[in-house]
Amino acid sequence: MKYVLSFTVNGQPMETLAEPTTSLLDVLRDKLEVTSPKRGCESGDCGACTVLVNGKAVPSCLTVALTVAGSEITTVEGLVQDGQLHPLQRAFYEHGATQCGFCTCGMLMAAKALLDRNPSPTRDEIVLGMSGNLCRCGGYVQVMEAIEDVAGRKYEVKAADTRGGK
Amino acid sequence: MPNAEYFATTELREALRLLAERGDQITVLAGGTDLAPKFNCRELQPGALLYIGKLGLNYIIAKNGGLAIGAATTLEDLATSRLVLERAPVLAQAAAEMGNPAIRNVATIGGNLVTASRAADMPPPLLALDAELILVSERGERVIPIGEFFKRAHKTVRLSDELLTEIRIPSVKGQTAFVRHGRRKIFSCCVASAAVRVVLDGGKCADARIVAGSMAPTPVRCLGAEGVLKGKNLTSDLAGEAAAQAVGECKPIDDERASAWYRRRVIKVLIERAINQASGL
Amino acid sequence: MPRNEGTTARPARHEIRKPESAVNVQTETAYKYIGKPTPRYDGIAQVTGTNAYVDDIRLPGMLTVKVLRAPVLKANLLNVDVSGAARVRGVAAVISAKDVPGGYYGMYGDQPVLADREIRYKGQVIAAVAAVDQDAALEAVEQIKLDLEELPAVLDPEEAMKPDTPKVRPEGNIWSFDGGPFRKVRLGDVDRGFAEADHIVEGTYTTPMQEQSPMETSCSVAMVESGDQLVIRSLSQSPYLHLRQLSNVLKLPMNKMRLVGGNTGGAFGGRFEIHTDHVAGLLALKTRKPVKWRWTREEETLYSTHRGRWKFYFKDGVKKDGRIVARYVRTLHDTGAYTGMGPYCVEKNAMMVAGPFNIPNIAIDGYCVFTNRTPSGAMRGFGVMAGQVCEEIQMHRMAEILGMDPWEIRFVNAWREGDMTATGKVVDNVGAIECMQAVAKLAGIDLPERLKAMSSREKRG
Repeated sequence: MKYVLSFTVNGQPMETLAEPTTSLLDVLRDKLEVTSPKRGCESGDCGACTVLVNGKAVPSCLTVALTVAGSEITTVEGLVQDGQLHPLQRAFYEHGATQCGFCTCGMLMAAKALLDRNPSPTRDEIVLGMSGNLCRCGGYVQVMEAIEDVAGRKYEVKAADTRGGK
Repeated sequence: MPNAEYFATTELREALRLLAERGDQITVLAGGTDLAPKFNCRELQPGALLYIGKLGLNYIIAKNGGLAIGAATTLEDLATSRLVLERAPVLAQAAAEMGNPAIRNVATIGGNLVTASRAADMPPPLLALDAELILVSERGERVIPIGEFFKRAHKTVRLSDELLTEIRIPSVKGQTAFVRHGRRKIFSCCVASAAVRVVLDGGKCADARIVAGSMAPTPVRCLGAEGVLKGKNLTSDLAGEAAAQAVGECKPIDDERASAWYRRRVIKVLIERAINQASGL
Repeated sequence: MPRNEGTTARPARHEIRKPESAVNVQTETAYKYIGKPTPRYDGIAQVTGTNAYVDDIRLPGMLTVKVLRAPVLKANLLNVDVSGAARVRGVAAVISAKDVPGGYYGMYGDQPVLADREIRYKGQVIAAVAAVDQDAALEAVEQIKLDLEELPAVLDPEEAMKPDTPKVRPEGNIWSFDGGPFRKVRLGDVDRGFAEADHIVEGTYTTPMQEQSPMETSCSVAMVESGDQLVIRSLSQSPYLHLRQLSNVLKLPMNKMRLVGGNTGGAFGGRFEIHTDHVAGLLALKTRKPVKWRWTREEETLYSTHRGRWKFYFKDGVKKDGRIVARYVRTLHDTGAYTGMGPYCVEKNAMMVAGPFNIPNIAIDGYCVFTNRTPSGAMRGFGVMAGQVCEEIQMHRMAEILGMDPWEIRFVNAWREGDMTATGKVVDNVGAIECMQAVAKLAGIDLPERLKAMSSREKRG
């Protein structure tokens, strides 16, 4: 049966219905039309579905939607603030860190979670932090460079910058 | 399933009541990383889900010189906990090498134990640490030494009305090491793993735990290999001997990740390495 | 339900920084764009998640498709009963072979959209359901009844070539090239070359199948618009090729169809053949509603076209000084249950497999063989990669046998201006030598002076 599910997505309160076994990915994409997290595998093996729940990166295809009721979900749609690209988005764009782009949204959220936790990671820490995101086009080097670029600028990240409205 | 039910109680009493009432008809959900892929492809369509994330079972507490860890503690919390790094570093090491950062934020130690895959990564270090598991039901509490928890692949002694609530690690002596092998360095199911604890008493090995993971239906305490080390001065050669002995105590299979042939060769290297690392050789 | 109003599709203006890590480019030139790093025109859309991949598309009333796939490798398909499926609540249409108005698809037009009286590979699509949601579609698929007569199958291509093995297709298991069983390439006389050689080196090599595994799984959204135009949001890598095939399958003129592409989550050759456009198109025409068919990762891995398996037998005649005087290659490509691009793949391979080398006597026998496996298709360096990998190993082994530096044997044999390819073309503007010299330099390998002094421009005497 369907249960009422309420949470915040990118600062906006949302309410929908979900079955017990429906994934957060399916709720976001099919019910709430938040399509940035992608369906790469539906088994937690690729990272294309990565979103943040209360600031932590999760594989949304493996997250039972009802378990995150009341949480703050952040997706790529929430990265642009007041019409400005998030530094990670800008860096990915400038460094050519996208090819087909299908892995990009998952990469961005994983990178954001990494930098929110550790604003100045070493290259090894970046590799480990991004280890859950696959790219079949082979864009890993540019992704690393984009993240290093943002980290190198000592970018100031607020832990919950989707709050507070516009 | 059209009429599937979902329960997410904050009361342990209520959770136990549901388990007593429904037993096998209700599926316990912790992080969900083992169950969700099966929901997504409709392989599993449970009639009812009991989410245990709100029962306050996500904790790591110092206890009697050791640790008490709630079953719903995430792998990421284990991997980064100062307490775990101090008192059970081998457990933090194993947790840190599982899955990937996003999966570790969601997956739990309890889920890994109860799913009891052959390739599970939490059992070997816990066996090396002589851990105990607490199973709770309306009938009371059972304390199960971890070595007695696993019956065969995907089957534990947990009864359908029981909930795994806590993992207890006693105050243990000695130095530990954990070495893991997968098809890739990161984000890859375990092909073989070795968890080792050696207790040194003036250069001699007073006690040892040598555990092989992903080498049999359940994690293997390599007692023969432990016997090779006990009472002797630890050397690299002795480590090699113990590792060779351990191979014979394992029952690896061929599966999509590796062949038994390969696993036997790898575990010998891993155990030798783990013994050397633990002993500082 | 409140929607997220906070995002905008367009970013604010900002400076495009030249990435420091880019290869050192001359920026002070007369050109505005040539020689300068330029960000992707769709890069902003990608990083803001605002570009729509096919699965991101939702249309009002859109139906979901699930299919019934063959449970066995080979069978006579005696009957497909969809009546039970059609009665499931929420089902809009169920189709099988009899609902296909036109012919078959594929480069050689030999592949049925829905299995037609026979099954040739496990997983072949037999019937398709369009329903209001995934659960209804899956339930309906389970209600479809099949009447099958299972038959012996063949999975090994060498077995498949033997006369008394089960036939994958009526015409037999070996593709006919100009009336013969293999694609024939001949230059000079290899037997004479072998007689002149100081050493004969033989080698047999196999390469496994390889799945492109793009991040995005196959997906189509099809809809009839403006009353009579079928519009398919597609991942096709070859829209015009596919439009022609779809026209034949759907019995629609090409001006009544439109493939909309441009946002593909990777392909690497896997979208060179139709996977979902035909069935989605059929169901859209039947239901007059938008229809989406998305493959799961499991379907993508098991049933999409992939790089097929190859076996190569090399026989080389080589002189003491490293010159290859004769090369014979027998190639065997497993094209699976249907022709697909198999013959093209074998021909391309036959052109290239001898390598960029000046060999006076070459013979290639290229076989394209059918088995009851998932049809193979294109993948990166289609038809060439597998052959080159094996050819290079063969070169390495020859160098070992001759006691020669593996670089040297390649330099000695590499094409110079005016040399000839296996297919009789005189080469010009070749650069294997310069390429190897550049690679050695980048890798920090100091080649012997003799090799450093070589050039592709020096014509042979």
